[in-house]
Amino acid sequence: MLVLTRKLNQSIKIGDDIEITVLEVRGEQVRIGISAPRDVVVHRKEVFDQIKQENLASSEVDASDIPDL
Amino acid sequence: MITTTFQTARFGEITVEPADIISFPQGMIGFPNNPDYVLIQHQENSPFYWLQSLSIADLAFLVVMPTVFVPDYAPEVNLAVVEEIGISEETPHIVYTVVNIPRGRPDEMTLNLAGPIVIQPETRRAKQLVLEESKYSLRHRIKDEPTERAA
Repeated sequence: MLVLTRKLNQSIKIGDDIEITVLEVRGEQVRIGISAPRDVVVHRKEVFDQIKQENLASSEVDASDIPDL
Repeated sequence: MITTTFQTARFGEITVEPADIISFPQGMIGFPNNPDYVLIQHQENSPFYWLQSLSIADLAFLVVMPTVFVPDYAPEVNLAVVEEIGISEETPHIVYTVVNIPRGRPDEMTLNLAGPIVIQPETRRAKQLVLEESKYSLRHRIKDEPTERAA
């Protein structure tokens, strides 16, 4: 993994059109601004991981538990 | 029509026509290298379907159209994101959500409303979305939780 040290308001460019800026550092929290084209999907890793987890669990569902409607 | 057979864990050998295949160019979330699936209805007249992988025999996600349970479900779809599967503002599209049922506890069934599956019905290309900061829950309970609470 590439590791860079940045100060407040400094940025990182990824390719030509993605820019990540450190906006605020307060205790353990860091606010990050991301500027990217609309078709670049940006989301918190936890949300992604939770959806993956829900997918995995869904694949384990016992068909006999599915309700009749 | 060229049909292909696949081995699956839940359904044994299944026969698939090319027109049945739903293709996720980027896979389902967590399964980026497995693009192709088919929808298999759980039982006749059931709203539940299995999204069966055509590359992993024991991978089949239980899905349902969310409007069956949440009639006003209307996720905000980022058009730039679904453009890659051929959806534009005018294109009708089909939405499914992943269902979870803890073993032996059907009353605790949940829908993942934060990770909808969007299908372009003509091309049968699909994508699972991540609704960041949406009002929709990853584990939306269908039956209300008991109101009793521990003190």
